[in-house]
Amino acid sequence: MNNLPEDCIAKILSLTSPRDVCRSSAVSRCFRSAADSDHVWNHFLPSEFPEDFRAPEGLPTKKHLFFSLVHNPLLLHDSQLSFSLERSTGNKCYMMAARALNITWGHDQRYWQWISLPDARFKEVAALKMVWWLDITGKINISLLSDDTLYAAYLVFKWNLDPYGFRQPVEASLVLAGTEHDDVQPSMVSLMHNPGSEQGQRAELRSDDWYEVQLGQFFKRRGDMGEIEMSLKETKRPFEKKGLIVHGIEIRPVLP
Amino acid sequence: MSEADMAIIKPEMMMKSYIWLETADGSIQQVEQEVAMYCPMICHEVLQKGLGAGSSKNCAISLPQRVNPAMLSLILDYCRFHQVPGRSNKERKVHDEKFIRMDTKRLCELASAADSLQLKPLVDLSSRALARIIEGKTPEEIREIFHLPDDLTEEEKLEPLKNLMDDPRIRLLNRLYAKKRKELKEREKLKGKEVEERVDERSVDDLLSFINGKDHKVVKTSKSKKKNKKRKEHKNKVSHNLHSKQQGTQSVVDETASSLGGVSNLPSIEDDIFSLKTDSEDGYMDDGMDPALREMLDREVEDFARRLNSSWVLSSGQERQPVHFSINGNGATRRLTAIDD
Repeated sequence: MNNLPEDCIAKILSLTSPRDVCRSSAVSRCFRSAADSDHVWNHFLPSEFPEDFRAPEGLPTKKHLFFSLVHNPLLLHDSQLSFSLERSTGNKCYMMAARALNITWGHDQRYWQWISLPDARFKEVAALKMVWWLDITGKINISLLSDDTLYAAYLVFKWNLDPYGFRQPVEASLVLAGTEHDDVQPSMVSLMHNPGSEQGQRAELRSDDWYEVQLGQFFKRRGDMGEIEMSLKETKRPFEKKGLIVHGIEIRPVLP
Repeated sequence: MSEADMAIIKPEMMMKSYIWLETADGSIQQVEQEVAMYCPMICHEVLQKGLGAGSSKNCAISLPQRVNPAMLSLILDYCRFHQVPGRSNKERKVHDEKFIRMDTKRLCELASAADSLQLKPLVDLSSRALARIIEGKTPEEIREIFHLPDDLTEEEKLEPLKNLMDDPRIRLLNRLYAKKRKELKEREKLKGKEVEERVDERSVDDLLSFINGKDHKVVKTSKSKKKNKKRKEHKNKVSHNLHSKQQGTQSVVDETASSLGGVSNLPSIEDDIFSLKTDSEDGYMDDGMDPALREMLDREVEDFARRLNSSWVLSSGQERQPVHFSINGNGATRRLTAIDD
């Protein structure tokens, strides 16, 4: 290995993973030099960035850019879409702000309020006052995502002091827009922990202290086009729902 | 090679012809032309220098220094297989999988040689194989496998961690918690295990004979039992002692010799004392550090905690005191408490 030129080592490292490359920079001097090279980290950065992506300033190397995108999501699309990278593969992750979603009755102050929270990624989050017809839908262009990757969509939310009406599971669905919806059965997910009546996916606490519940999964292949539609609904039960605070919908790769 | 070039050469060389190649050590060999031409570097040499190049021993084509005769023969085998046009993709794949199976040293040499001959498919194949070897290994393991010098300073080794951590202070502290928590857990686990092992190890005969007063026999059997156990167990966790027999009842007290320097207050009859194995797969392995590095980090972490006015009360076997302190992160004050899991 001592005889291998640095660019050969760099090529070999680019076939491993970001984590392996980081470990390699602690092996020896020549490994470090190859491991820190732009050639390697360029390989882990996406080959295509969203249209309005601008790399943050002041980052000296591609490695810095990579980790900046992992730890500090960028706001795109008029600050309604956050863009970041998944650290073990470099795959693209997004989160759509609540404002970018289609929330039925969301414009009506009697039912939903838009507030600012300090621990939110976006300027505003949607706080449910009271509604009978709960219908939250988001759409994302599939071409924004990384090829040959299995993705999952999550509704990111939390509760105010007084939630009501969420003890029963609600409907979640994820479809490719334009395909036949009628025969696709929505899955039931539980937003609240309620032993006995829980079905399907359950809400989990995230590291940022919000909750998330999985709405569905899909596999993005190279060349896929169209939009993914994700939704959470509760429109069948004749009672009101209160107290849900919606941060947005996050779309990220499913890790093995 | 373009179609035009092929057209020029073909009529001249109707019979099977050979090219002479010379490696850096001076040895010369002749190779079938179509096989050698599969290497871009050789192909370019022939085209550049004209048709005479490589046609005889005297004007053999000089190969780059990184190609030694052994590697050349390997590479030519590869070329000989692949230059046959009729093979299916599956055939080629199967061949490659078998071809690439060799020891790491040769693999490196092969990658180097293929790179200097610009034989891209073989460079990809060998690079992928080397990448598979590197994946998942710690820096120390990589150094061992490839016989690389350990020529980085301690500070330089720590640098990668700074890139990965979003908030270094919090990560260090989490590491401290995790470590302390784990140590406590190990101790609980061991205490639990002792009881089980005691029950399992003693057979009825042993007990009877002990009760009947044949102490030395028990000692011997316990010794041999222990040695068997030693061979059985991969992880050495406990040391066996025989408690004093004043009461006439047999009790074996198993004690853990903790790496924390916990005190064992019973005299040990057996010489072997097994120590706790502290490295394992917890959050540490995530950052891929070798034990030396981890130890150093542990020391730093403890210094750091001390600097933050935290106090760990840790005496052997006793509960540790939960600690409250706050740090400033991004302007917000957060309170962190040590959780006793």
